[in-house]
Amino acid sequence: MKKFLIISLAVIVAVMTFTPFLWMLSASFMKSGAANTYPPKIFPDEFDFSHYKTLFTRLNLTRYLINSTVISLGVTALSLLFNSMAGYAFAKFRFKKKKSFFKFLLSAMIIPGQVTMLPVFLILKNMGLINTYWAIIVPAMASIFGIFLIRQYAFSIPDSLIEAAKMDSATELQIYFRIILPLCKPILVTLGLFTFMGTWNDFLWPLIVMTDMNMYTLPVALANLMSEHVQDTELMMAGSVITILPVLVVFLALQKYYIKGIMMGSVKE
Amino acid sequence: MAEVKLINVGKIYEGKNRAVSNVNIEIKDKEFVVLVGPSGCGKSTTLRMIAGLEEISEGEIYIDGKLVNNVPPKDRDIAMVFQNYALYPHMTVFENMAFGLKLRKFSKEEIKERVNYAAKILDIENLLDRRPKQLSGGQRQRVAVGRAIVRKPKVFLFDEPLSNLDAKLRVQMRSELARLHQKLETTVVYVTHDQTEAMTMGSRIVVMKDGLVHQVDAPLNLYNKPVNKFVAGFIGSPAMNFIDGFIIQHEGLIFTSEKEELSFTLEPEHAKKLNQFINKKVTLGIRPEDFFDADENADALNINLEVVEQMGSEVYVYFFIDGVQINARLKPDPKYRHSSKVKLQFNKNKIHFFDASTGNVILQPNL
Repeated sequence: MKKFLIISLAVIVAVMTFTPFLWMLSASFMKSGAANTYPPKIFPDEFDFSHYKTLFTRLNLTRYLINSTVISLGVTALSLLFNSMAGYAFAKFRFKKKKSFFKFLLSAMIIPGQVTMLPVFLILKNMGLINTYWAIIVPAMASIFGIFLIRQYAFSIPDSLIEAAKMDSATELQIYFRIILPLCKPILVTLGLFTFMGTWNDFLWPLIVMTDMNMYTLPVALANLMSEHVQDTELMMAGSVITILPVLVVFLALQKYYIKGIMMGSVKE
Repeated sequence: MAEVKLINVGKIYEGKNRAVSNVNIEIKDKEFVVLVGPSGCGKSTTLRMIAGLEEISEGEIYIDGKLVNNVPPKDRDIAMVFQNYALYPHMTVFENMAFGLKLRKFSKEEIKERVNYAAKILDIENLLDRRPKQLSGGQRQRVAVGRAIVRKPKVFLFDEPLSNLDAKLRVQMRSELARLHQKLETTVVYVTHDQTEAMTMGSRIVVMKDGLVHQVDAPLNLYNKPVNKFVAGFIGSPAMNFIDGFIIQHEGLIFTSEKEELSFTLEPEHAKKLNQFINKKVTLGIRPEDFFDADENADALNINLEVVEQMGSEVYVYFFIDGVQINARLKPDPKYRHSSKVKLQFNKNKIHFFDASTGNVILQPNL
């Protein structure tokens, strides 16, 4: 009985979560205006791909898709590199003021992102990076959260592995690339996923630093679409599908590692 | 093939905590030297300084005549086997063993040849494609040794390599490592806290405590002629018995324990050496195996046995003299039972005396 209740509850929650997604997908294939009829339709009478066609031809969605992909991949790759290097150093290297420096970094986490937006914008403007991919990539190249996550994970790597590599005549870079990075794979995937999704879905910062329409990312472009085509629900839904799909695919593909990564902190091997 | 020389080597952590002081050891080419001592005695730190994994705070270390104080581990031409094996978990056994050779830019054929040779010696040829987590403790140990062998280093360093294995496997690996040393004829420095391992494997043993070297000697010399009370108590299992007492002059020299439960006249040749300790506090040392069943008429100790441990081939009995627990190792006999009264003697030619204040030896048996 208890099991039945739990399963029923899970099903209800799943349906509640999944229905909007399903309707978004379904509405994106409806004919213009069909999504706003009463009683509301759940499935389209006939599949209409015209909205997708419009998005990619008239509304230049390909450009935004490329922007979003380049930026998200760039941020993910670079932030993984720098976060893992810093996290590894904090976990395994001996240097002066290591602990106090790390505490200082952690304490900076309480500063809300909005507070630093203006100064960062001004710095980037002085560097001439506004309206370039770097305007989003550079501020995101390292994050305190990422460093913290990698550091905690790297603690679980035995020192003797690093020492064995040293005896095997590996240089520091070789140790990092050939021992530490492969061993950190689960946490790198987890962090990579967080970073990729965060960057892909980010709206505010790209809106601030990208004033040129050609440099818009998908969420910004979508919001733009919303104000211009507020009546055209089906077109909006098609845009949303395009925006969400890559994240969903990446998440599902890496889910296996992701769960391994978040479990890692609690169950130490 | 190389000699290792440590001259006045010391290690101070963060400018204040002294881990090792004044270590002087000369390890000859092809020698198997064991550093032994209780935990925290500085043996692993000493080994790690030889390896180059710890900076040397004081003194000098020479490998093959070359000063290596500032030489990084990779350029010292040494290989080390770690206590927890330290195998790279994401690599196969072959890759683990080949890793060091690859980094040193050996040709593929050479790498393959060396790995196969080591695998053959260690009998792990059929494991080369496996990952470390698919191996048992003993197999991992072999791979760790194999990784050291393929490098053909001048010196092998072992840091408590057998302590993670179960008792049976440990005995087996012990003899295998000894055999390997004979075959490879390489200098070995081996760290352990287990005195049995040290006694059975080492051609020479370095006994350490509190960061100091107490004695460097061949196993039997350590056992028969320990230089102080610590070495005497550490080497040998069951450990040597110690009884505090005084030397008194009374028709020759007499040793009397503090509570006078044990008292005996010293042999004339011993008396000469103990003259200057008359009326001073000394510690008597008797090894458990130097006790034996007393003859009918002999001047014997009357003993109440507290605990009796039957080992099959021998029997360990425990009793008290002066409130100190004493252990004797005797031939099996049905009369040794819990709470039974027996008469025991000990071999007076094999007793040791230590200065009670310094712990240094003042009388060693003539062997």
